[in-house]
Amino acid sequence: MKRFLTAKGLFGAALVIAMVLIAIVAPLVIPADYGTRMTMTARLRPPSELHWFGTDQLGRDLFYRVMLGARTSLGIAVAAVLMSLVLGLPIGMVAGFYRGRIDSALMRLVDTLLSFPVLLLALTISAMLGPSIPNAIIAIGVAFTPFLARIVRGEALRVTQMPYVEAARAAGATDLSLVLRHVAPNVMPPIIVQATISLAFAVLAEAGLSFLGLGTQPPQSSWGLMIQASRDYLDVAPWTGLVPGAAVAVTVLGLNMSGDILRDVFDPRTR
Amino acid sequence: MSYIFNRLLSIALTLFLISVITFAVTTILPGDVATMIMGTQSNPQALAGLRKTLGLNDPLVVQYGRWIAGMATGDWGNSLVFKVPIADLLVQKVKASSLIVVMSMGIALICAVPLGVWAAVHRDRWQDGASSSAALLGVSLPDFFWGIMMILLFARTLGWFPSSGFADPSVNLGQALAHAFLPSLALGLGLMAQLTRMTRATMIGILGQEFIRVGRAKGLKERTIVWHYALANAIGPVITVAGLQVGYLFGSIIVIETLFNYTGMGWLTYQALLNRDIPLIQATVFVIAAVVMLANLAVDLLYLYFDPRIRLA
Amino acid sequence: MSSGAETLVISQDGVRRPLVAIENLRVEFKTDSVTTIAVDGVSFSIEPGETVCLVGESGSGKSVTSLSLMRLVEFGGGRISGGELKFAPRKGEAVDLTKASQEFMRALRGNQIGMIFQEPMTSLNPVFTIERQLVDGLKAHRGLKRDKARARALELLRGVRVPEPERRLKQYPHELSGGMRQRVVIAMAMACEPRLLIADEPTTALDVTIQAEILALIDRLKRENRMAVLFVTHDMAVVAQMADRVVVMHRSKIVEQGDVEAIFENPQADYTRMLLAAVPKLGAMRGTTAPAPMHRIGDSASPRRSVSPARREPRPLLEVKNLTTRYPVKGGVLRRVVANVHAVEDVSFTINAGETFSLVGESGCGKSSCGRSILRLVEPQSGEVRLNGREIRSLGPAELREARRDMQMVFQDPFASLNPLRRLRDQVAEPLFNFGLASKSEIADRVAELFDRVDLPRGFLNRYPHELSGGQRQRVAIARAIAPHPSLVIADEAVSALDVSVQAQVLNLLAELQADLGLSFLFISHDIAVVERISHNVGVMYLGRLVEFGSRPAVFEDARHPYTKSLMAAVPVADPRRRRIHEAPSAKPLASPIFPLGHKAEPSTYDEVTDGHFVLRHS
Repeated sequence: MKRFLTAKGLFGAALVIAMVLIAIVAPLVIPADYGTRMTMTARLRPPSELHWFGTDQLGRDLFYRVMLGARTSLGIAVAAVLMSLVLGLPIGMVAGFYRGRIDSALMRLVDTLLSFPVLLLALTISAMLGPSIPNAIIAIGVAFTPFLARIVRGEALRVTQMPYVEAARAAGATDLSLVLRHVAPNVMPPIIVQATISLAFAVLAEAGLSFLGLGTQPPQSSWGLMIQASRDYLDVAPWTGLVPGAAVAVTVLGLNMSGDILRDVFDPRTR
Repeated sequence: MSYIFNRLLSIALTLFLISVITFAVTTILPGDVATMIMGTQSNPQALAGLRKTLGLNDPLVVQYGRWIAGMATGDWGNSLVFKVPIADLLVQKVKASSLIVVMSMGIALICAVPLGVWAAVHRDRWQDGASSSAALLGVSLPDFFWGIMMILLFARTLGWFPSSGFADPSVNLGQALAHAFLPSLALGLGLMAQLTRMTRATMIGILGQEFIRVGRAKGLKERTIVWHYALANAIGPVITVAGLQVGYLFGSIIVIETLFNYTGMGWLTYQALLNRDIPLIQATVFVIAAVVMLANLAVDLLYLYFDPRIRLA
Repeated sequence: MSSGAETLVISQDGVRRPLVAIENLRVEFKTDSVTTIAVDGVSFSIEPGETVCLVGESGSGKSVTSLSLMRLVEFGGGRISGGELKFAPRKGEAVDLTKASQEFMRALRGNQIGMIFQEPMTSLNPVFTIERQLVDGLKAHRGLKRDKARARALELLRGVRVPEPERRLKQYPHELSGGMRQRVVIAMAMACEPRLLIADEPTTALDVTIQAEILALIDRLKRENRMAVLFVTHDMAVVAQMADRVVVMHRSKIVEQGDVEAIFENPQADYTRMLLAAVPKLGAMRGTTAPAPMHRIGDSASPRRSVSPARREPRPLLEVKNLTTRYPVKGGVLRRVVANVHAVEDVSFTINAGETFSLVGESGCGKSSCGRSILRLVEPQSGEVRLNGREIRSLGPAELREARRDMQMVFQDPFASLNPLRRLRDQVAEPLFNFGLASKSEIADRVAELFDRVDLPRGFLNRYPHELSGGQRQRVAIARAIAPHPSLVIADEAVSALDVSVQAQVLNLLAELQADLGLSFLFISHDIAVVERISHNVGVMYLGRLVEFGSRPAVFEDARHPYTKSLMAAVPVADPRRRRIHEAPSAKPLASPIFPLGHKAEPSTYDEVTDGHFVLRHS
């Protein structure tokens, strides 16, 4: 715990918590009609007291749009990573624990899937299912699964070869109790680190999907959509692109920092 | 000899699996192809007729067999969007994408390795803090954001490079490089950040090993120890990670090429996905996955060259 | 003990000065804003041509002292905060190394002072050839060009008795064995004929026969080159064999120093006496038949529990017959089996109830695999294992689980044999839980009793492994092992990773448990002196075979098999008056237990040379 309290750790955690709070608070703060209450004269206004981040090409307040975007992006990212954990953990644990032919077969499949770039897989699945938020979650979740399965398998392999697992076996543990009491708890810390980093990638992936129009669909707000929409107006109103870009950066930065620090916290060598 | 044979067998098996997965993703998922092509308002009879023509009523295995047989004989079908044989499209686009992939990898490696070594040597001091922070930021921004910044800065403001389009290197190399530069840079920045972090971590690990201490005890210059002794051990792992990033790169080119209107494989794939051009989707996804697999293979072989422990085993 | 006319260091005023004079050295380490003092006020000197042994347990500061002399501590985060390190170079006045620049030190290192370290497996750069690593020091200090450097490299390899030196030059480190690598490291250190060789635990990671060769090598090089040696070690027996003078360190301070004979025969400090008492001397058990407890200074005159010799019923508890275990070697892309490691080959022995049978041998001999095969943690190919008459190999999974109640294991690594995330009381309770030996309410009491039994305070019940020391963790592992009341406990190098003083405590604990609970032990170890002390019967293993076995007096005092004899001859004796360092003409080639598929191994046949004493028939 002490090791988390470095500048990097606190800063990273602060960023993440801030974003999460924004996402949660958004619907309570934003007036319900903000989307329709647009006036042509309020288009592309630079940041001011009235509109903290300015307005977009339809006159909507960018601060509100970013807040709603936080909800979408974070929501999709969390759901997708959870999905990849639900799919990837069992596969990796089975492969790492039982080894032998099961491991070879599963890993052959996983490695083949890893030949497909994650973004490509996500885009294809989303396109085939039809772009929407639930489908984006499925697409990103499935695309992340092989990578996670591989990591879980590696950790399971490492842990099952530790003497304390052998000792437990000698002490009469069944396979199930071995997994529950010894293997799983020791596999979890590196997986938590990986999940944090995956969250960062998921936010980036969702931004990419929306940017290409194959993720969140308008009128819902997503940071990727906002960047895409801003492309035509960058010369006259650069804040329309910089603000969502900064939002992505801040979130991903916070997650990456937290991931780095968590990795140090859980490093067994520094115990 | 048997090693090569085994390797080829392994490649064939993986290609087979890749084709199966590609086919599965594009056909098993819900969504009627005919409707996607002709629209939901079309005449049901016309739809049925199209389905028959496209052979969509046959069992999946038969459709798959037809597809594979076609590919093997060089007939990759026609693109529904572009109305030309897919094979023709692929050749040109693969060349175009290879150019920016190679350029971005080159830019990234050349900058990242020295930077990572420098950060590792000055661990926990300002040099490390500065470069690590920059790298962290580089990894945290999406590629297309860098792309947009590139366009704004180099193309619109400074006017040094064109902001879109593609030129064939065999026709005009200078033009080709000019068009390829900004996309490569956009791709390369994120990669550079990732590789810097990785190089730094690898070097720190190596510098903690016993043979480094032995080298110092021999009275070797610190410069020799870092840039010869240590780096020689780091190259292998760094190359491996860089090679694995090729997969990531081929995903990113979909976004970057579209952003820059650079007509390579990524741009082509996006067009296919946007328009539900199933034959083209199948072809591009298959080719990309196959290329990534072969790149990983090449990295394995390259690693053999760098690590005598594996070479001689 | 000091050699004759070596180069005396005469300074300007004609007074003979030592080669190295360390005065009041103080070294600190700073981690996470906590400053640790690793070396505190250490003073001693080294005369030219003499061997000074710096001895102590882990944490004593001995390694840090030697690293400070090379000014290498700074690279590990240390700081010399006080004292002087005077060194007399080949030319000129003595220099205080604490004030020297790193550039000056660089010219000194590998040139006038050479250093070798503990881990030969990682001391060489894995991606450079041997030639390159031998030569780069020569190039840096002597400016030799390639041909001359290569010739010198060959000369150096011959000097350290590496066979086929031309071939070795082109090889990579992983193609050499551990002993060979250490010879290369020594050659590198000797390249520029240093005045001082610092050896930091150079043989700790090596097998005992290889250790004997390396010690002899260092001794010869010292005499031939009139070099001084600073030998850092924790092994008092090695000290007895190598030292002219001894410096004893404990917790960053010097406790005692003096001539080697004085230290061994008339130790003044309590710590030195404790250290000497805890070290088992090979040969001290001559004439006795039963095992004896380890001496411990500091025990009360009347021990807490009187350790009466365990009552021995000659009832066989464990019978192993023709046990064979082989590991497949996979190669090729499709990972097919290309060869087998014959880890355990046709091994048979019997352990009687209440007795300790030790399986002794060097690394790779198969003793650990033997122990794990008996427990079926690894599956043997063939053979019979009977515990209390019950055949173990033929049991199904559920029955095997149940049978394991009766035989438990204590592993070598006290850090890795405990789950880092579980409380200690839960881990000791686990066998009780798994075998249903106590109800929930009883378990807590039983675990507390077990902690008492192994002399651990009850306050440790709620702690986690990382809060305990190595010796304490091993006690927890022992508590876990005896929890289900087994008849047999297999101790697989259970004390090898512990400091000598802690080792003595744990061994005595095991002896007490044997006396009180009637436990039998299969004690697997490479430490021959320890084995001599605690065993009733002994088996010697080599390349997977049991080459000799019988009662301890028989095997130790009347060794018949050539391997046993060479093993006994190689063990350093902790008595400076019995020095026996002799060098073999060239490094022994290592035999390998790896055989191709389908190799037909010959069965083991034994001659009974005396009653109960068996020797493997050898060609």
